[in-house]
Amino acid sequence: MSVQSTEKLDSLETKIMKTPRGVDIEITSRCNLRCKYCYYYDNPDVNYYDLPKEEWLKFFNELGKCAVMDVTLAGGEPFIRKDLPIILEGIVNNRMRFSILSNGTLIDDKIADFITNTGRCNYVQVSIDGSSPKTHDSCRGKGSFDKAVHGIEILQKYKIPVAVRVTIHRYNVYDLENIAKFLLEDLGLSSFGTNSAGYLGSCRINANEVLLNIKERQFAMKTLKKLSEKYKGRISATAGPLAEVKMWHEMERARKQKDPPFSYGGYLTGCGGTNSKIAIRADGVITPCNMLPHMELGRINKDSLIDVWQKNPILNNFRQRHKISLKDFEFCNGCPYIPYCTGNCPGLAYTLTGKVNHPSPDACLWRFIKNGGKII
Amino acid sequence: MSSKNKPIANPLVVLREEFDEWAILFDPDSGNAFGLSPIGVFIWKLLDGNYTIEEILRKINNNFEDVSENAKEDINNFIKQLVEQGMVGYEMNRIDKN
Repeated sequence: MSVQSTEKLDSLETKIMKTPRGVDIEITSRCNLRCKYCYYYDNPDVNYYDLPKEEWLKFFNELGKCAVMDVTLAGGEPFIRKDLPIILEGIVNNRMRFSILSNGTLIDDKIADFITNTGRCNYVQVSIDGSSPKTHDSCRGKGSFDKAVHGIEILQKYKIPVAVRVTIHRYNVYDLENIAKFLLEDLGLSSFGTNSAGYLGSCRINANEVLLNIKERQFAMKTLKKLSEKYKGRISATAGPLAEVKMWHEMERARKQKDPPFSYGGYLTGCGGTNSKIAIRADGVITPCNMLPHMELGRINKDSLIDVWQKNPILNNFRQRHKISLKDFEFCNGCPYIPYCTGNCPGLAYTLTGKVNHPSPDACLWRFIKNGGKII
Repeated sequence: MSSKNKPIANPLVVLREEFDEWAILFDPDSGNAFGLSPIGVFIWKLLDGNYTIEEILRKINNNFEDVSENAKEDINNFIKQLVEQGMVGYEMNRIDKN
């Protein structure tokens, strides 16, 4: 008789759960910075309006009843909300844990003390894009580097797990070695994550100024590969140049060896997030993901979360993306990497092509090569 | 103080039923989580301080087929694990010092 499952938790994620395991909430639409590549601002699909705390507290009660485990608060800048402690208390009172995604500039002792005393914080993620104000402030605004680093130091003082995300763009791509040294050696972080500016939100307006060109992308891949070997296991990525250099290397090797298709290859499998998570906009609209704010599934405290999660036709249709073959797309015609490709992020696919059910041109290896890029 | 023999689930621990009868036990304070089989879920729901291990075993025998001969030992081990992780406890009797 087995009373405890021997399966790994992750292996359960192939079927749709009764309720979401995690919820990503844009707890505010306000921010004290205006970063040039912000995915959130300048999006015509977003209604920039904040719900009062009472609405969130009511919703957290529903999440508690749904046995949701984790809430991630993003924005906007979550620490801009003066009622953040009350909001966090609502999460804690409903037996959930939380994470916060922040620019780090508004973190002070008082809120850090509160967070650590909840005992429920998974981590606070702070964005650091440079080893000095020169590179960091180039896209985030004057003074933001010093304040963000100070924010990290406060989090460290209160023993709150800190996750740092480095977004790579044209202003910091040649600063990566210094950034790694600064974060891992000077600040003493155990690890950090990387991504690159993507064609979303404000970045669409500033694309020429901030998005990496082929040469810069190639340089970022080469540098991050070298750094990830130097700092073993301490630099991570789920997207951007570091993820690409690893994935594309595998895809090229498989193509050369004529390997059978990858288990997830050849179909739009780039996003499985909606099997375990759902997102909420600052105005209370439920969406599949923060990167797909135009896909309105319902509204909190008006529509039942369980009903939306289990029955919403838009969401259930989105979950069927993995059945769409890449061979069906003219975009993929003639591509030798189809058996090893996932089609990548649907959010970027939408902003770049106007279609969610389309491969994302941004992370397309074949396009990268056709434009002069080389696999490292 | 002496302990009773009827285990009680920690009310802070979340039973998250995900697929069919399978579930996750989640302790939000520690972040620990692990999967439960349908029998594990059945036992968890009986950990309300009203049932001894023997009574739980009897209910399992009444509700499941092919219960193994080692079931009592399995239940004991399962509950022991939960106790070690702070997910289950036993009600304590107050002893009058006078």
